[in-house]
Amino acid sequence: MGATDVIASVKAELGKPNASHPDKGRVSIYVDCSPTAEPTFEGRGGEELSIELSTALQRCLLGGKSGAGAGIDLSSLSIVEGKVCWDIYIDGLVVSSDGNLLDALGAAIKAALSNTAIPKVEVAANASSDEQPEVDVSDEEFLQFDTTGIPVIITLTKVGRHYIVDATAEEESQMSSAVSISVNRQGRICGLTKRGGAGLDPSIILDMISVAKHVSEQLIDKLDSEIAAAEACDEEL
Amino acid sequence: MAGKISNTPATYTPSPTSQNKKRPSIVTGSDWVRPDGRGLHQCRPAFLRTGAVNSASGSAYAEFGNTKVIVSVFGPRESKKAMMYSDIGRLNCNVSYTSFATPIRGQVHESFDPYTLKLCSYFSPSTVIFCINLMLLVCQASDSKDLSSMLHKALEGAIILESFPKTTVDVFALVLESGGSDLPVVISCASLALSDAGIRLYDIVASVSMSCLGMNLVIDPVSEEESYQDGNLMITCMPSRNEVTQMTVTGEWSTPKIHEAMQICLDACTKLGMIMRSCLKEAVSAPEE
Repeated sequence: MGATDVIASVKAELGKPNASHPDKGRVSIYVDCSPTAEPTFEGRGGEELSIELSTALQRCLLGGKSGAGAGIDLSSLSIVEGKVCWDIYIDGLVVSSDGNLLDALGAAIKAALSNTAIPKVEVAANASSDEQPEVDVSDEEFLQFDTTGIPVIITLTKVGRHYIVDATAEEESQMSSAVSISVNRQGRICGLTKRGGAGLDPSIILDMISVAKHVSEQLIDKLDSEIAAAEACDEEL
Repeated sequence: MAGKISNTPATYTPSPTSQNKKRPSIVTGSDWVRPDGRGLHQCRPAFLRTGAVNSASGSAYAEFGNTKVIVSVFGPRESKKAMMYSDIGRLNCNVSYTSFATPIRGQVHESFDPYTLKLCSYFSPSTVIFCINLMLLVCQASDSKDLSSMLHKALEGAIILESFPKTTVDVFALVLESGGSDLPVVISCASLALSDAGIRLYDIVASVSMSCLGMNLVIDPVSEEESYQDGNLMITCMPSRNEVTQMTVTGEWSTPKIHEAMQICLDACTKLGMIMRSCLKEAVSAPEE
């Protein structure tokens, strides 16, 4: 987005599901801020920002603890209930930072997930209930991830008395506070994070939510058409 | 004791809400009955005391149901020499969990340890304050970086940083028992500790969280409700100024639901603010008697 460049990648591994949710897969999101973006990110410098971005993304994409309202359908990741499931690792890398990192990462993750193909797994039928069942990971057949439910993140930055969308680094340096709202295709809020120290009036937050919903409709349409165009290009190659 | 380290995967947990219990089917429309018998929009009764730690500049202890938190504030102290000069003060926050805070020892890992002590159920407010130093020697605390940064963001909007340039204020929060809705309790307790320390604030900060369970909006959830929740909304605000310093929303919410939830939470924050103020007044008037 503008001068902000981010790369998102999705890796899947077979693993054991969480004991409290045996019928769901696991997703873990991690963002790394590379020193190529800012010299201050070298070593431990970018760690705080990485944690903030990772937490915000997890909040927006993974939904409540029971799994409801999640952008990614976790039950589709389960192979054998209670024993084997897919562990999805989503990694984001910030290459060039010119403000509005969260929106760019959200869009990149959405695109990466739509490009993700989970291989089909066959479970050996005669596994006893205590041991790990044998799984045969197929190299040929793939399942496409369903990304229509994945929300998109809009960050509204409050500068003075106005709020702006998609702030550049220069505009962000003047901000008093920012609210990042994640909205999905049905117009429901999937996550909200307030950043920045200044206090905000509650009515302003509600106003920001309605503005974010309006902007998100355009962004989702644009993203979907871009992803479809890119996939069409891939198939031609 | 040492010979007991075996293949048992988890420590014995006395609470019945362990992993095997399936989520009770919440049919849309039916009401959720709360495990402790509260109304849906009723917060837990709060027990607040300042001056819990004698050696700190300011401190506070808060108990909301089963969630017990102690916060101590040190400062303003001289900033480390490595840090640059700044004409406003700095705030440093740290939130850690004791290893006996959750029903399963350690926040994430399940491991058997002969030194696990089930002290939680034996706590009463006065003995906690007495025993805190002993516990810190025996058990390690695990840091929580993301809770620390959220505490930092919640408090930095309320502190008048210009009143202590070149110095740092350290806020250390320790969660003794995690009974649900931990971060809001930590934030409210931290702002009490800051006022006890005499740090200048724009207003005290009160924080409340709300869970969405099916169709019901439940305020101040316990850990059992949190594990079944569909969504969570946490608001931190300064009641007298009517300003929100932090807000996080997880899960899927429709706009009218968010409006309703925000309204209920802000009302709860105002009431909590009044309780905090009365606690501070008591603390000040008591020594004068």
